[in-house]
Amino acid sequence: MVVVAVVLLQVGFVARGYLSDHKEFAFQMFPESSTWRADVVRVTADGRRVPIERPWSGYRWDELVQDRGLRYPAVRHHADAGLDNQLAFLGAALDWVADNTPRDAETRYLEARVTSWHNADPPRVGVLRSRVREDAG
Amino acid sequence: MSAAAVGAPPHVRGAAARFDHLLGQPVSMRALALLRVLAGPVVLLHLRPFLSDALNGRIYSDAFYEPYAAWYPELPGAAYVGLLWLAAVAAVAMSLGFLTRLATATTFAIVAYNVFLSTTHFHNNRAYLLIVLGLLAVAPCGRELSVDAWVRRRRGLPALAPSAPAWPLWLLRFECAAIYGASGLSKLVDPDWFGGTVTWQRVVRARDELGALPDWTVSVLTDRSFHTGAAKVIVLTELFIAVGLWWRGTRYAVVWVAVAFHVAIEFSASVQVFSFLAIGVLVIWAVPSTRDRVLRIDPTAGRQRRFGGLVRLLDWLARFRVEPAPPGSPLEIVDRDGATIRGAPAAAFALSRLPLTAWFALPALLLPGVRRARRKRATIAAAPT
Repeated sequence: MVVVAVVLLQVGFVARGYLSDHKEFAFQMFPESSTWRADVVRVTADGRRVPIERPWSGYRWDELVQDRGLRYPAVRHHADAGLDNQLAFLGAALDWVADNTPRDAETRYLEARVTSWHNADPPRVGVLRSRVREDAG
Repeated sequence: MSAAAVGAPPHVRGAAARFDHLLGQPVSMRALALLRVLAGPVVLLHLRPFLSDALNGRIYSDAFYEPYAAWYPELPGAAYVGLLWLAAVAAVAMSLGFLTRLATATTFAIVAYNVFLSTTHFHNNRAYLLIVLGLLAVAPCGRELSVDAWVRRRRGLPALAPSAPAWPLWLLRFECAAIYGASGLSKLVDPDWFGGTVTWQRVVRARDELGALPDWTVSVLTDRSFHTGAAKVIVLTELFIAVGLWWRGTRYAVVWVAVAFHVAIEFSASVQVFSFLAIGVLVIWAVPSTRDRVLRIDPTAGRQRRFGGLVRLLDWLARFRVEPAPPGSPLEIVDRDGATIRGAPAAAFALSRLPLTAWFALPALLLPGVRRARRKRATIAAAPT
């Protein structure tokens, strides 16, 4: 029973990998040559759009977000585990920064204007936003 | 037989019974014991970036991370760092085979806990490591190549049986093949991958890193049409490994290709511990029986004596019994089927069955002289007695 259960679970994970942003146990190695870059800004309560390359309230983006190729989003990077995976991480990072910068009283939300190149396809532009910080301003 | 098969038609019951027999049949755990030894350093390599951060006063929660579930327990910083160091100690104990079951289970539990702390911790190589550690934790793989076994001998206690039900071995074989199969399949069904776009773009973008190569090599590697063929070779290689491991006729060729494949990946991509782990796991494809081949050496001949010593030293999968032969005898191997092979072909054959030398020696089995000796051996073995 254990063996059958593990085999079925593994087959299920492999199938799930074709549908999910995160592909745990799906073993899709080097899936894409896709690349991406993003202009990430903080949108303040008074409407200013401040690039995250500028430190704010004692925070630095490159200290807050260090993993999964997100440290310098303005630089064009390879999406190691595919674009969907990469953009899911970027979206989660925006939320994490919005939720974990308590000294910042002015940012309402973070926004990333993402340019992505899926393999050899023409570039696509999209926008990701963090959760809105209700206590800002 | 499983309960579900009891009310099934006879042929289904028969298949279920054979399946049960296959999984429950006691087989040698030697390959898993060797994998356990090899897995310890891989775990240390895996833990190194986490421990390095901890030494610099940083842990995962100091920067962006994404828990899988809100309820997943997170430890205070000091306890978390302590747990990582405990994992490192447990990994060493696992490799040495000291309190093997406890050490392996501890290593698995902490590595799994750490990986599942954040989606950002998850990578394919870590998933493979979890699978390997999980199966090593449930298999009795500490009865050989272990401090535990040495302690038992020192105390005069009888050695524990080195055989155990085969299901962990079969499950790990399935997972090993599934990883190559899943990877190959995902590329096969992706037109960009199978058509060469993905590899071509990756190489073109990494052109600056090809500076050390000769111009003609760079020219070939960045040529679009080269990748139309190369991508198919890569995909078919992965699928060949996934399928070919299951047949004895192709297994040695597959192992050779797989090692070359992983070495190439290690030098061309950043894959953390994947290459070391994947090459190490290949030992589980050895036939799970031990000392069923005999290597006869003439102890009065220096070269044979040295060769016997080398085989004893490197025979980590316990393929051979080394026995003395009468003076003047050539080096001789008696294989599982009773057939014999002598002289240089026997040396090549022996080296092709040792984990450390197999990759280098396997091509020698294709040399005409060795092939003739092996064919003759097969004919003798097949002849009626």
